Amino acid sequence: MQSANILLKKIVRHSVLPFTAQHGMKKDLFPLSRTLSLSFCLKQDSSGSPSEKLDLDAWKKVMKSGLQEEVNETVSEHKELSALAAAREILDMWRLAGRSVPENISEEQLKTFMECPSKSAKKKYLKFLHLKEIHKKNDKRKIDEKREKRLEAQKQASETDETKKNSLICVWSNTMDKAYSWRAAQSMIFGQPLVFDMSYEKDMSVREVTNAVRQIVFSESCNRRSVDPFHIHFCNLKDDSLYLKEFMKHYREAWSKLLVTVTDQCYTDIFPKNKIVYLTADSPKVMKTFDHDKIYIIGSMVDKSIKKGVSLARAKRLGLETAALPLEKYLLWNSGAKNLTLDQMMHILLTLKDTGDWKKALEFVPKRKYCGFVNKPVHELKKSLNLINTLKFGKRGEEVRTQVTKNYAKKLMQK
Amino acid sequence: IQPPEKPLQSEEWNKLKESFRSPEIFEEVMFNSMVRYNSPIDVAKSLLTHVAKSKGDIEYNLLLKYLALCVQQRQISEIRDVYDILKSRFRILESGAYNLLVKGLSNSDQWKMSLTLLEEVKKIMIPSRTIYESCIKAASRHQEMNLAFELYHEMLSKRLVPTLDVLQALFDFSRGMTNAELEKEMFDILLYLRENQIYPHKTFMRSIKLWFESIPGGKWRGYLTNIKDNGQCPVCNHQLEDSDLTEEEYNNLRERIIRDVIHGTDTFRKTSPQEFQAFQTFVEDRLPFDIVIDGLNVSHIKPRRMQCENLFDAINCLAKGNARLLVLGRKHMLINSPNWRREVMKEMQNKAHFFFAENISEDDAFLLYATLRSGKHCQFVTRDFLRDHKACLSDSLTRHLFRKWQRGHQIAFSPSADGRHINFMPALSYDCVVQTAGDTWHIPYKDNFEEKYSYQVPRKWLCLQQR
Repeated sequence: MQSANILLKKIVRHSVLPFTAQHGMKKDLFPLSRTLSLSFCLKQDSSGSPSEKLDLDAWKKVMKSGLQEEVNETVSEHKELSALAAAREILDMWRLAGRSVPENISEEQLKTFMECPSKSAKKKYLKFLHLKEIHKKNDKRKIDEKREKRLEAQKQASETDETKKNSLICVWSNTMDKAYSWRAAQSMIFGQPLVFDMSYEKDMSVREVTNAVRQIVFSESCNRRSVDPFHIHFCNLKDDSLYLKEFMKHYREAWSKLLVTVTDQCYTDIFPKNKIVYLTADSPKVMKTFDHDKIYIIGSMVDKSIKKGVSLARAKRLGLETAALPLEKYLLWNSGAKNLTLDQMMHILLTLKDTGDWKKALEFVPKRKYCGFVNKPVHELKKSLNLINTLKFGKRGEEVRTQVTKNYAKKLMQK
Repeated sequence: IQPPEKPLQSEEWNKLKESFRSPEIFEEVMFNSMVRYNSPIDVAKSLLTHVAKSKGDIEYNLLLKYLALCVQQRQISEIRDVYDILKSRFRILESGAYNLLVKGLSNSDQWKMSLTLLEEVKKIMIPSRTIYESCIKAASRHQEMNLAFELYHEMLSKRLVPTLDVLQALFDFSRGMTNAELEKEMFDILLYLRENQIYPHKTFMRSIKLWFESIPGGKWRGYLTNIKDNGQCPVCNHQLEDSDLTEEEYNNLRERIIRDVIHGTDTFRKTSPQEFQAFQTFVEDRLPFDIVIDGLNVSHIKPRRMQCENLFDAINCLAKGNARLLVLGRKHMLINSPNWRREVMKEMQNKAHFFFAENISEDDAFLLYATLRSGKHCQFVTRDFLRDHKACLSDSLTRHLFRKWQRGHQIAFSPSADGRHINFMPALSYDCVVQTAGDTWHIPYKDNFEEKYSYQVPRKWLCLQQR
């Protein structure tokens, strides 16, 4: 194909040659047009160019030249197209048409693409691959740049040849790792348990499972680095599950050395039921304080298509206590779903565990989701609201006030 | 950027390109604006020539944009040329190019070529509905109605949804033809509207009317009218169908509601097995009800009043004529609170049956179950449109059944003039779909620019009768 293109370009260039020669001559005849400013050129066009005839269909000749060879070649090359090859070809055309299509696509991805149930699903999948490709490329570019910079710095350092004399021992990452592992090991004996419920596989798509596992990996790492880590349990993790497959992808051989408890048992078999609290955004109960004696459970679920009540149903079925974070109480919620990612949950719980400070903990809620913190307790806010209203409406205030409090109370009830 | 008005020389294009912010996408941006400003085709050609000369090749997407410009201006010979070029350059084309080509050619006297293109598309993918649309319109414009209908059926068999435009074109172009087969096809389209609960808009309705009146010897006459509340057509005194389901449909719907809405993937999501069991025995013991009320929903009708008062009014209003009422609520209503006074609750419980669900259960699902269990005459009251429950139903047929049943059985709250009393609008006693009795057709339609929500039904009708 490449050689065909080169061949084609050669032919094209040949056929174009006479044109350029022709026009080159004309340029000399009209030296003015070169020096004219653009706008002038546009305006004067009508008066300047009628004498010189533009061959408007020249492009067709260009496009059609070298045609014969190519057609023969392609026809002989592929007579029969397999379904996969056909799909690949359509993708090529879409890319040429300027749609978001990845440049390289593996056989496996192509199959997933063909299995997409609808046109829009196909489009979405392609866009996903396309963006992934772009991210990868950018990352690679950045790494390369960094490496170059480092090499340069080293070069300079070796030139100046400055021997460092430092009384402090440089703490390298593996030393840090050792310290973290020590802490995690301690937490496995003395730490407060935190359970990830891995029983949502059939409620999720493959991509959602991948994302969930990614979030858990993040959570695990930030737990390991904390001052007082949780003892993490992965419960209901079956041997042949997609979760496990994804975990292996992330951790590889480190999986067996991970300082967490992995079990296919349910948390109700391990811990006393009355100590368990299932954290779910759908819970009618709002968490007031962090209890160091309770065992909190986080559902390892990413639901892009907000499946309401799935984890609440699980807790109901097992007869467990549930709780939701007091997001409404502390934050002026702006937009977005109240379900947070697993690593955000981990950050929040760790902070609560260390400090018990809700404000500090809820800093980890994404900023786009809320406008700000409610700096006073709600009942104080209500009081000042009433005061403002009485001042504003005077005598009628009485009536209005009851209205406002009523509405506010109703709002609270609904939550 | 504004495209130039006259074709430019290569050098001039170069200058323009240099002055442009990001020269690497200059051609693309320029072509886009040419399409937008509908520039003369010669300008586009001169740019293409410039590109061809400087690069020795023209990219596919530029050709595509040029093609769009040609289609926009109906430059048939240019479209054909571009097609030849594309064909020679690329083994296959993608859907965008085919859409444009078919659209362009179907509007010309070379419309037959769009059919060849359609065949070509079929080899590599499922043609889009716009391709079919163009072909069908072209065929019917040239009075090849058989061909048009062949394509139409092909389109339906590929599960593509025809636009109202296509259907209207079929009516428009078969006006005045005598052909029993064709007549049957047109009736089938009307039945398609009926099956899918589609309402034609005003201009489409007019096409239907004109087609009916043009049937030679058919003696059809059409009148625009409003149907009375009792379901009688004022023009022909014909009684419209009611929205009752057949026995089989009714049972089917009830089972699906239990399976998909109440249980779904997990019974615990909306209720719990124990609670549902308790509710079932509760209902069985007290059957049948005449009206089932969503207590919490009704209690919010007037925000300024106490919730129990609202509910009390509603119950009083509906309890006339010894109707057996069932009110569904949640347990928190039983706790004495400013909004739920114990005395009022007591009094209400003398007038109606009450079932209180857990505070975290969904009472709507119970509402549907109790109503369906009570039989065809039973109606229900809520301001909820029940869209989320409809969405739980797994197939479109059941969803249609649900909509039909809902139209005939949901009592809506109507705001009264003085805003003091609670009033209820009885459910429609007739079904709002396209319908026929052989010698009459009744077709509901909506005004062209009327904003219509999915839960609203049109009030205007076309009455067609044979003299």
